[in-house]
Amino acid sequence: MDRDLIIQSTALTKMYGTHTALDSLDIKIEQGATGLLGPNGAGKSTFLKTILGLIQVTSGEGTVLGHDIRTEGEKIRQRIGYMPEYDALNPNMEAIYQVKYCGELIGMNPHVAMQRAHQALEYVGLGEQRYREVSTFSTGMKQATKLACALIHDPELIIADEPSNGLDATSRDFMLNTLNLTVQTGQRSVLMASHLMEDVEKICDNIVLLHKGKLAAQGKIEDLKAIDKEVEIHVWGAASKMEEELKQSGLKVRREGRIMRVGHTGDETYSKILKSAAKVGSQVRKMHDYEASLEDLFLVIMERLGHDVKSSDELLEGL
Amino acid sequence: MEEKSSEEPFEPVQSKNTTFDAQKPVTGQTKMQAAWSAESDEDGSAQIATKGQGQIFEQVYQPWSGELSPRWMRNWTILRHHILGIFKKGHRPWNLTTKLFILVVMIASMTDIAMVVLFGVLGDTYFYELWGVNRNNLYGHVLGFFPRNILYYPVLAALLVGGMISEDRTHGTSALYFSRPVNRFDYASMKFLSVALILLLVINGTLILYYMADILVKGRGWAWIIDTLPMFLGAFLGGVILSFTYTSIGLSLSSISRGKFFPAIGLIAILMGTKSVAAIIDNLFDNSILYVISPFDSVCHVVQELLGIEPTYSHPWAWSLVSIAIVNILALYLLANRVSSMEVTRE
Repeated sequence: MDRDLIIQSTALTKMYGTHTALDSLDIKIEQGATGLLGPNGAGKSTFLKTILGLIQVTSGEGTVLGHDIRTEGEKIRQRIGYMPEYDALNPNMEAIYQVKYCGELIGMNPHVAMQRAHQALEYVGLGEQRYREVSTFSTGMKQATKLACALIHDPELIIADEPSNGLDATSRDFMLNTLNLTVQTGQRSVLMASHLMEDVEKICDNIVLLHKGKLAAQGKIEDLKAIDKEVEIHVWGAASKMEEELKQSGLKVRREGRIMRVGHTGDETYSKILKSAAKVGSQVRKMHDYEASLEDLFLVIMERLGHDVKSSDELLEGL
Repeated sequence: MEEKSSEEPFEPVQSKNTTFDAQKPVTGQTKMQAAWSAESDEDGSAQIATKGQGQIFEQVYQPWSGELSPRWMRNWTILRHHILGIFKKGHRPWNLTTKLFILVVMIASMTDIAMVVLFGVLGDTYFYELWGVNRNNLYGHVLGFFPRNILYYPVLAALLVGGMISEDRTHGTSALYFSRPVNRFDYASMKFLSVALILLLVINGTLILYYMADILVKGRGWAWIIDTLPMFLGAFLGGVILSFTYTSIGLSLSSISRGKFFPAIGLIAILMGTKSVAAIIDNLFDNSILYVISPFDSVCHVVQELLGIEPTYSHPWAWSLVSIAIVNILALYLLANRVSSMEVTRE
């Protein structure tokens, strides 16, 4: 196994009857923070269950931290920390005992689990509230408790399913910062399923994008953003002619008044823009690369995919 | 300032000394500052924790590299979590009603012990024989209908199984188990064992005390013990079958529910309903065959045969035995089926 790969799968397929939930997934996830993206029904939950070793795959193979997902589910679950999306806490238990119990279920000695529960709750910012019943907690505190449950045994990989779901701005920042800190200073890996692109972009270096059970894109966010790279220009005078000229020179143009975004096709894009401006007698008063957000990228990929999914290599081809 | 140790989660609060003198204008702030550490009337120094220097919370990720225990230890954790929750904090939070009811049933189940001790000490032979250890009394301790198997044990079983699995669905706590190295068999079997052991503690625990009380009060010898031990073991086995049956029916109902009420009332309805219907048919047509649909009566019939008591049913006891087996198999199948469908991601 590649030392840096924490999750990898080859032709991973899961079918429920005739419905294909995961379609021949070839996924490679490196150490660090990775975002798992996809619209509803994309197969995110099935993928998570598969890598947790909870459901049998129909065909294909995969490993998590070097363990086979088909035969070593228990070993995998012992080495990862899973933070579920929805409530997964007993409301009538104090947070400290809830986290301790989670540690014991992993196999920790009760005394050690208690000690670690204190540390984990302190880490997620609930040090002062650890003896309060979970039912008295806010949504943010419940999310933090779930994170403490996931972190108690210091797992190598944390799988966080929508960690900022339902949180206010402050709690969300704290949650994301905590996950970030876990990756940066704790040197742990995080696989974060989320539909909030901003959150994923804040924490993750890599993404895996699923669509209708197929792999739509995977890789570094920065690399994938090249798919949607544009040059933004502010034009003064003869804007319509300029737009025509750019299109005739083979560039894709999106225009809103005097501001145009020109598809980046390589270093020659800048000279083509300037030549077009000179030809039609237009002034280019401002020109800079337009940084697409992850949300833009997601929309572009989905738009390009249409009903027929391509691989990420295909998506990047022709740029 | 000393360099911060990486193991220290908190940075000590830094303070600065501010000196005040008499000439300084008196403001609310300086009054407050001086109040904390006034050394004299003339001037004082206050300890002020500033935001820039002091910190009350610092996030430090603390690694851990201990050994994890094997499967049996994890199972023991689940079992202990449920059983110890009755006695102490920090484990499964049973509600007060259940805890009190366990205590009440435990005490009520020991009425025969009290009678044995009382009449044994008083030396009243007639009443002692009425309450002392014999086939019928051993049977009655476990399977007496009123009050034990109408007011005590079915209600206790209903309270115990009510939220045992359904609450894991409601609160999503099943995810805590299944996202960890706990498989569904271990989960269901430990939950089963937890309920069954609490029932056994009450039913068979008091049966043991009853038997021991007779030995101690009357100073019974080995001959008596050898004579009565098979009867005692028969009654003990009856308690095991009863606890097992109540638990399997109750947990299967809990596994198909999201609340406490349905499994609890469902268990009582099954136990009492089937018995009532069978009793009506028996009275009307003088035929006991329909008692095979009543789990309680099936257990009674089998244990009557085990203890050598005159049976109160006219149909063959083997039919009751088959009935117990079928009821338990169906209940366990339903339980296994529903537990295997419990989700870890979302319900």
